[in-house]
Amino acid sequence: MNAFSSAARFGIVLAGLFAMSAWAHHSFSVFDMQTEITLEGEVVEFEWTNPHTWAWVNVTNEDGTVTKWGFEGMSPNYLGRRGWTRDTLKPGDRITVTANPLKSGEPGGTFLRCTLEDGTVKVMFGR
Amino acid sequence: MTAKPASAWIELRLPGALLIGVLAATPVAAQSPQGESWASIAELPDWGGLFEVARGGAFLPETLVLTPPYAARAAAYAAAEARGEIQDTPAANCVPPGMPVVMWEPYPLEFIFTPGKVTIMIEAYSQWRQIFTDGRAHPESPDPTFNGHSIGHWEGDTLIVDSIGFSLDTPLGRNYGARHSEQLRIVERMRLVEPDLLEITTEIYDTEALVEPWISTRVYARHRDWILTEYICQQNNRNFTTDDGKAGINLEHEVER
Repeated sequence: MNAFSSAARFGIVLAGLFAMSAWAHHSFSVFDMQTEITLEGEVVEFEWTNPHTWAWVNVTNEDGTVTKWGFEGMSPNYLGRRGWTRDTLKPGDRITVTANPLKSGEPGGTFLRCTLEDGTVKVMFGR
Repeated sequence: MTAKPASAWIELRLPGALLIGVLAATPVAAQSPQGESWASIAELPDWGGLFEVARGGAFLPETLVLTPPYAARAAAYAAAEARGEIQDTPAANCVPPGMPVVMWEPYPLEFIFTPGKVTIMIEAYSQWRQIFTDGRAHPESPDPTFNGHSIGHWEGDTLIVDSIGFSLDTPLGRNYGARHSEQLRIVERMRLVEPDLLEITTEIYDTEALVEPWISTRVYARHRDWILTEYICQQNNRNFTTDDGKAGINLEHEVER
């Protein structure tokens, strides 16, 4: 194999690696991007912060205990231009969140979309 | 509109030692300054508003062709990623990617024309670039920086930007396994191709790292009504990468009221 063909093949490899970093800031390595979970709960806080928004949601488990989940969302800069505000999620709101969970099993995930109490669906990506 | 003389590109492919001497004599620095007075700025095209990379331009496939030593390094990095040894990049710790990736982030840019200078405000990580259009040359030995030292000139309605002096801390593209040498030189050609669509062609030259120049084009949609928004990555960054490349996330949370 000569050097050029090795290099050229590497060019192709690089192109394939890309989808891994769909966000500007970090990879998705800690999340299970093949799995979607949907949880209903009560908003504790919506952190309208960079580099990511964080929605903290109390979810009641089957045994009656409550677990606070953290959902990492797009930045306020991105969302603010796509119909979200810092008041889209308010403490006490009941929402249903769909997310890619953390691989570690800890109560957290990547925020994909949610349904508000009035039935409005808010998505993280796209307009 | 006239393209830059072809001879400049032939010269760019010469070995490094000769490169410096040749480049100092290229027309890049010798162009007559434009935008040197407030009156002349009125003659420049209207690039008002914000521009955000569009049509998938933030995540174009990177088809760069690396030289064998750089390809070997990138392959080793990719293998470490595949083994789970490298899980994320310094960006997870809020270290910006540097040029050219700063221009490809899914966040808007604002172009500000003042006499002798075009300033690009970059919302991602709250950065900026200065493009000196007053006819100056690059410093002989620029301090290496993430975004480099940039000089530019207008050819008709096209702004041509020439940048050198990049820190070796930055990746060549989005893939952190692909690195560049101190020879890295980036030439950008920026022009409106539609009233609200800015096109930027990015030509990346590095004879040590690249078998051939890596050239790619992106378009940026104008948003007249947008304003820049603060982006302080350290504000609430819960992602992290350890020194040995392991990724993690911080889920500690208390409501502060």
